[in-house]
Amino acid sequence: MAASLSCRGVKLSIALARVGTSICVNSGTRTLHVTAICCKNRAARIRVGKGDRPLTYEQALHPHHIGHRKGWLSQHTGNLQGEGGASDRTVEDMFVRRFIFGTFHNCLANEVVIKRRGNMLVVCALMLQKLPPQKLYFLIGYTETLLSHFYKCPVKMEVQTLADKAVYKYL
Amino acid sequence: MHNHHFQDPTAPHYMFQDDPYLTPRTSAEFKLYSLSQESGRMAANHIVNKNPKFFQKDFAEPHIPCLMPETMELCIEEVSEAALLERIMLRKVKAAVDMYDQLLQAGTTVSPDASNDLLDLICLYGDRDPVQDDKPEAEDVAQEVQEEGRRRKGRLRRASDLVRIVWRENNNAERIFNLLPERDTRAYSALIRGMVKYGAHVKAFNTYTDMLNNRLTADVHTFNALISAAPEVRERYTEKWDLIVDLLNQMNEQKVKPNLLTFNALLKALRRCGSLARAQSLHTLSEMKAMGIAPSLASFDHVLGIFYKAASPSQGQTDILQEVMTEVAGRTFVAQDPDDVNFFSSAMRICLDTKDIEAAYKVHDLLRVGENWRMLGDSFQQSIYYGRMFNLLCMMEHIDVVLKWYKELIPSLYYPNPQGMRDLLQALDTDNRLDMIPQIWKDIRRMGHDNKSDLVDELLSLMARDKHSPEIQESFAVCALDVKSLYEQGQGARMALEWTATAMTNITSVLLAAQKKQQAWDMLKLFKTKNRVPSEELMEEFLASIKSSNDPQHAMELVQISASFCLPSTPKLAERVLQAFELSEEQKTILSELEVSTEVSE
Repeated sequence: MAASLSCRGVKLSIALARVGTSICVNSGTRTLHVTAICCKNRAARIRVGKGDRPLTYEQALHPHHIGHRKGWLSQHTGNLQGEGGASDRTVEDMFVRRFIFGTFHNCLANEVVIKRRGNMLVVCALMLQKLPPQKLYFLIGYTETLLSHFYKCPVKMEVQTLADKAVYKYL
Repeated sequence: MHNHHFQDPTAPHYMFQDDPYLTPRTSAEFKLYSLSQESGRMAANHIVNKNPKFFQKDFAEPHIPCLMPETMELCIEEVSEAALLERIMLRKVKAAVDMYDQLLQAGTTVSPDASNDLLDLICLYGDRDPVQDDKPEAEDVAQEVQEEGRRRKGRLRRASDLVRIVWRENNNAERIFNLLPERDTRAYSALIRGMVKYGAHVKAFNTYTDMLNNRLTADVHTFNALISAAPEVRERYTEKWDLIVDLLNQMNEQKVKPNLLTFNALLKALRRCGSLARAQSLHTLSEMKAMGIAPSLASFDHVLGIFYKAASPSQGQTDILQEVMTEVAGRTFVAQDPDDVNFFSSAMRICLDTKDIEAAYKVHDLLRVGENWRMLGDSFQQSIYYGRMFNLLCMMEHIDVVLKWYKELIPSLYYPNPQGMRDLLQALDTDNRLDMIPQIWKDIRRMGHDNKSDLVDELLSLMARDKHSPEIQESFAVCALDVKSLYEQGQGARMALEWTATAMTNITSVLLAAQKKQQAWDMLKLFKTKNRVPSEELMEEFLASIKSSNDPQHAMELVQISASFCLPSTPKLAERVLQAFELSEEQKTILSELEVSTEVSE
């Protein structure tokens, strides 16, 4: 869809239009061309910056690399042909992620991976060694029981610890 | 050798996360982590039960009752029998008693079932509210409990041992019992069993006589309780046994069939009947067989306890252990009696006392049959069992076998205490495998026993005692330097070990033997600063090593140091240095002075 505006030479254009030709003589006209907006994709992407921001592998690779260089953070069968409940699983996942993020405050080294095996929900988390082990065990027992009661299914946590976040590159 | 279906010797216990930071390395850490995980679970349960409205949505197909919130609070407030039953179900003893009193005051009759339920509740909990996990104890209750706890002496293993509830005079159970319109067998049974449980044994027998006078027959549970109380109410062994026989006869008359717990109570009572116990216990076992009741592990435990009294090790030779082990070999047991869990640790204690390694292997094999590993008990019982077994192995078996078991058991099943590590060092010494010491030292450090000075001293003296090949001496020297660093500064919040003269001597000899002259020299200087006196043998060793490197300056210093400690061997040392080394005139004069001065002073 193009619209053209001209400041001068209106009469000339109208005269030409009556003749039936579509010759546009650009003698001193200025036009403004506007198209539909096509924005840059910003989903899950951290843009290049000064070079002092550390990124993990998960953060550094963009979503179109999922399936090629990245794995999935949430594994369930809801998206298979003929299976239902994908939206319910997604909502549960979001709740679980926020719950873990809040409960293990400042301790997560990377995104939480959620796997569903049969009836069981397995939450695999990578933690930093900020809390002493007994506090970590307290929170693990608490999370497992609370989420089990909430979702009426067994919830297990598999935790691995790191000393610092694993930096993949700096952007 | 040890293929439990759940046990992998390199992995932590299944309740822990599989991560090196989160794996417990000592028994204290094991307890701490497992308890903190448990308290996290209890905190979550508390929150779930306090806010049930968020957890009501039930989309589990089929319904899972244990994941729904529990009602812990009382709902029914008005005075009625339903309220009474609710309080009984929620185990609120005081509230139930109050409700009952209110019902009686209001004049309503309470059904006999409800009153019996109430009596059962009071007798089970000894007229106290059971300790709720999420509520702190009320002030007055805690005070009373503390007083009774202080009165109890002896080894208090668990917190529950501290809380000893005693059957008080004129408590609610007796009061309500007297208020009952008709007292049936069930009521008497509850009262008698409560009395026996909480230590009022004489009263229990009086109540039983009461019951007989009212022409009621007791049930099997009452008889079990009375048999277990019988040793408490009579003094002499023969009297105790007569009372028990009397009870058994009455049981027969009242046509009450005994069950497994009866026989177990019988055997347990026999343990306190002295010399006539042995014959009677065998009779009891044959009775059990005749009645077709299979003995449980508790029965065998009591039999072993009767035949092997801990205080008198060789009172009449007996091989009852072998007979018991042949009897139980290959059988699976389930928990039928609370005393079942004592079997394995007592059997292992007997093997240890009689130094019978074959029997110990048989006992251990029994653990591997079916689900018998459940009968080992809690982690404390397990540590006792494995501790005794490891002790026996270190004493009796060749070092290769010991090391194989060491890899299997430690640390996945058992965290040895310092005594256990000393046994291991002893075994290494006996079989001449002292080259393993640096590895064992690493394990000792990991287990947190490196602050036990006698263990460290023994380790050092074993290293310093004999001459070994150069590679071994090298590894010993590295180990000795590691030990030295422990003495110098503590790890984290722990205090450094105190230097002892023997420890310093041993470390120095090890360093000398590995030709680490500079570090050995530093150690010698350390003697002065820490105010410890080196031994004469050490000086000899130093002299020998200095001779081999032909260093007159050091030789001089050695003699001077020896003089400063006023060692009696100084003049001899000075003489030998004068003869053996090429010295300057100045040095010669100093040495001859030392030679003379110490002679003069003697």
